[in-house]
Amino acid sequence: MTDERIVVGVIAGAFGVRGDVRLKSFCATPEDISAYVPLWTSDGRVFPAITISGQTKGALIARVDGISTKEEADALKGAELLADRDRLPSLPDDEYYHADLIGLPVHDSGGTLLGHVRAVQNHGASDLLEIHAPGQRTTVLLPFTREAVPTVDLAAGRIVADPPEGLF
Amino acid sequence: MARSVWKGPFVDAYVLKKAEATRESGRNEVIKIWSRRSTILPQFVGLTFGVYNGQKHIPVNVSEDMIGQKFGEYSPTRTYYGHAADKKAKRK
Repeated sequence: MTDERIVVGVIAGAFGVRGDVRLKSFCATPEDISAYVPLWTSDGRVFPAITISGQTKGALIARVDGISTKEEADALKGAELLADRDRLPSLPDDEYYHADLIGLPVHDSGGTLLGHVRAVQNHGASDLLEIHAPGQRTTVLLPFTREAVPTVDLAAGRIVADPPEGLF
Repeated sequence: MARSVWKGPFVDAYVLKKAEATRESGRNEVIKIWSRRSTILPQFVGLTFGVYNGQKHIPVNVSEDMIGQKFGEYSPTRTYYGHAADKKAKRK
């Protein structure tokens, strides 16, 4: 997973006439985006540093290293910013990044494939793994608890689930 | 206006019956309910309810800090998929 990159924000356009940009951060704490530098665009351009200078409606105001004019900032409108997965800090036991869980295959204790993780949701009670079963149009939500998900093996890239009755 | 205290919390009777039956059986199953208006009671702690959101049943693991809320609060009717970015999930 070392060469993996994840989308952490998008440039929404220019802010002012001095080359600042409006930056929409997808991070849990929006300001954390500046800690994940260098940031990349999908066409391979790299920004070695980002300085957050304030907030505007629904976005952060940022100065991006290498962008000094409004025209350059305007040209970046809509550009997604990607960070190296390695830049994210390591987490304690039983905490996982959504980016690491999404896409993993989920097997039951007998080894049967139940599906793949499509998303991780939280509606206030506990985290839920949204699992897309092969050949199914709908998805199944599995509570992300030790009882329902006894094993999460990121190294092997698999999840073992013991879903409650009536879920699948 | 808040509900009068003398009435006690409102819970649909079938929810109480289903919860009681599941607790007695000791089985690990999702209790499917359609009653989003029912209040979460202390005897529901530890059970998993599947609360209908108009489309499907959303699993809700009841914990102590949810007592007094309504089931519907934990089963949103609209879905939003954001970017994963650095968001974390904790296995409880």
